[in-house]
Amino acid sequence: MRSKFLNACAVLAVAAILSPSRASAQADFSGHWAPLFHEDNPERLPGPELGDYLGIPLSDAGRLRADSYDADRISVVQEYQCRPHAGDYMMRGLSNMRVDAVRDPVTSRVVAYHLRMGFQEMERTIWLDGRPRPSANAPYTWSGFSVGTWQDNVMNVYTTHLKENYIRRNGIPASDKRTFTEHWVRHGNYLTVQTVITDPVILTEPLVRSQTWVLDPTQTMGRDICETVPEVPKAADVVPNHLPGTNPFLTEVADWYGLPAGATRGGANTMYPEYRKTMPKPANPPPAMCMRYCNCGMNGAGCALQ
Amino acid sequence: MSRSRSRGLEKAALLWVLFGAVVFAQRGGPPQPPRSPKDGAPVDLTGYWVSLVTEDWRWRMVTPLKNDSASVPVNAAAKKVMAEWDPAKDEAAGNQCKAYGAAAIMRMPTRVRISWQDDTTLKVETDAGTQTRILHFGGKPAANEVATWQGYSAAQWEGGLRPIGGGFGLGLGARQGIRSRSLEVVTTNLKPGYLRKNGLPYSARTTVTEYFERFSEPESNDHLMVMTVVTDPEYLAIPYVVTSDFKKEADGSKWDPTPCSAR
Amino acid sequence: MMWTQRGPERTALLAAVVLAGAVVAVARAQQPPALETLQVQHNVYAIFGGGGNVTVQIGDDGVLLVDSGTTASVEAIVAEVRKLSKRPIRFLINTHLHADHTGGNVALARAATDPLEPLNIIGHTRVLSRMTAALPAFKPGETTGGAERLRGLPIDEYFTASKDMRFNGEAVVLYHEANAHTDGDSFVLFRGSDVVSAGDIFTPGGYPFIDIANGGTVQGEIAALNHLLQLTVPGHTEEGGTYVVPGHGRICDEADVVEFRDMIVIVRDRVRDMINKKMTLDQIKAARPTRDYDPQYVTPTSFVKADQFVESVYRGLTR
Repeated sequence: MRSKFLNACAVLAVAAILSPSRASAQADFSGHWAPLFHEDNPERLPGPELGDYLGIPLSDAGRLRADSYDADRISVVQEYQCRPHAGDYMMRGLSNMRVDAVRDPVTSRVVAYHLRMGFQEMERTIWLDGRPRPSANAPYTWSGFSVGTWQDNVMNVYTTHLKENYIRRNGIPASDKRTFTEHWVRHGNYLTVQTVITDPVILTEPLVRSQTWVLDPTQTMGRDICETVPEVPKAADVVPNHLPGTNPFLTEVADWYGLPAGATRGGANTMYPEYRKTMPKPANPPPAMCMRYCNCGMNGAGCALQ
Repeated sequence: MSRSRSRGLEKAALLWVLFGAVVFAQRGGPPQPPRSPKDGAPVDLTGYWVSLVTEDWRWRMVTPLKNDSASVPVNAAAKKVMAEWDPAKDEAAGNQCKAYGAAAIMRMPTRVRISWQDDTTLKVETDAGTQTRILHFGGKPAANEVATWQGYSAAQWEGGLRPIGGGFGLGLGARQGIRSRSLEVVTTNLKPGYLRKNGLPYSARTTVTEYFERFSEPESNDHLMVMTVVTDPEYLAIPYVVTSDFKKEADGSKWDPTPCSAR
Repeated sequence: MMWTQRGPERTALLAAVVLAGAVVAVARAQQPPALETLQVQHNVYAIFGGGGNVTVQIGDDGVLLVDSGTTASVEAIVAEVRKLSKRPIRFLINTHLHADHTGGNVALARAATDPLEPLNIIGHTRVLSRMTAALPAFKPGETTGGAERLRGLPIDEYFTASKDMRFNGEAVVLYHEANAHTDGDSFVLFRGSDVVSAGDIFTPGGYPFIDIANGGTVQGEIAALNHLLQLTVPGHTEEGGTYVVPGHGRICDEADVVEFRDMIVIVRDRVRDMINKKMTLDQIKAARPTRDYDPQYVTPTSFVKADQFVESVYRGLTR
């Protein structure tokens, strides 16, 4: 008669052989990450020039919304003063980032990544446990609702339920009908995230951009507390805006940088190499040399106007 | 042999057999013979890809203004070179392709055609400047390798982690393994060139490390992302890192080779 | 006051009121209800899909509803309420008169048979006046009706700027928003739960229906939204905090109200500029002053299309 011990071993062995192995985290994104501003530094740090829609696949509706934007709105409309970056813009804009792995207390599997951004103390969760999305009637948030899945060493993320926000900080809005996907990949101490924004209101094609962070374990993230206050007196029904066709600032960026004015209006065709064949000439002779934001470099330092 | 000792040996033998069976099962069978880089490619990078110039537009789609080094962590030596940039001199010296070298070519507005030249060699062609890059798997530059605009590129599928079986649920952690989908390319032997067409220089001491990634999208075409890390102790204060994005095209109908231009 | 006008004018007015309500009810209640109930905050819930959104406050005192959906949906709405509480429905507050928000009034009133726990239907006096005026006229010699004719009407009316009460352990405050979506709109603030039911003054995802025939004006709509912004206090990072249940659409907060208010102000500014340039209504419509907002606020099933919104703004600025 076989012993109980041998029977138990047999059971354990069969269970171990037959139990399926479950996919879990394929890379570790946790840590403190400092953004590299080696791309579009002047836009992401000091801010984009008014009227600069270069390379954005804007719809006609998106363009008019942007043209109508008056930057006074951020100050005059008190509710905008502390408006944070939404989940898609926060991956592009200025901000240090901390990523924490959230683990199941029993299995230790990573069930989510929790992001905290330095700017406005924004927080965001990327769920990896396959949970269902909220109802379309549930509140939308700045960060949206994000679900991630692994594809080898890449984490693919899909986000919905985003509040209205902006694609650029010069008035190009982002509607609450948008969604965005991301692809997170890590190589050594570099973390790169490609974002693909699909906005049927503001864009005619997906907007694809990518940005990189470098691991910085010594980074400290302080507080960024914002309080709204009345800054200028105004009547209650005033919202600063430019009537269609009246914005006087839209041609400045073309003159400052020697660019064709038509290109600055954006549109999907301006993204592709063949645009250079049909691109009009600048209306005015370009400056002999750079006069504006010429030296932005070194991860954000040294970005003076001239 | 006593009965108790015999039982003890039976137990030990059974335990070893069971242990081996579990490890064998968790590892997925006996090791497979190595495949060529082409056959073992974890992702298909071949085909036609078009730049999506949504970033750094005024430094890529047009020749940037003189002395404009925005976003690039250049040092004082680089700024001195930039101040002396003269495209006419580059043309006269036959250096129209200076801005089309491996450190900068993937950042150009361009179409890219990627194909396997053979089982261990990937070819990357650009229609901008009509350039060809050869990515060698498992090779290294010869001692007398001549510096060129595209240099010598050593490629490998980025290493992952092999799975390792665990201790049959007794709390000994198993390793599930990680497979990377990334192509890693390291390029050296570069002729001095320009990171941007306005004469922002990189030197012959430059090393370019790239990662090629292919991403699928639920609502649009697949994308290719090329992360380029340029390390140049002569002109850069720190490594310069950019990520260039491309969209998959169905065919080469828009392929349009153009010569290099210094302007 | 319009309901004191004489015969032909009054008939036309009544026809307009009935038509407006009927159009609203038909447009928004053609599909059989597929209801969804979500918790908004604390003991306040919202029911979606039964016409206008219905807000539900539950507790030991009973159930308070804000609006009652359509006539076709009320049974399903009550079934949803019963999943939240078995207590009797004690209060029904109507944010305005339209049938997709008051269609369930009669059924709810008929179902409240316990005299010790009656149903009080509350609304601004203008809601009561307009709903009363829309009742069919007595035929000659007809005198019966009485209580049945009044059933479902918000006879617990108020005519001041606000009305407050306490129910289920919190203050419930009604604010009259003059001449906004209509002339009888109310916001309902659940002060403890930090929720506002806004009625059809706020309809994210669709242009507002400024019901000119029932006293709505664009200036009043903007003023009401400004008041809503005063009532709402956001949480950390300017989201959450005070939640808003709109007349139609998802649960929102202050940031969502701001975007909606800004859109109306900007469109108003454009239309006003065109009026100042002596453009006719048809010319203004042709200029499409809402074209950058249409993709966001107009769908094939939208109740308010762009031209209709533009015209309501125009009429509000030229009356």
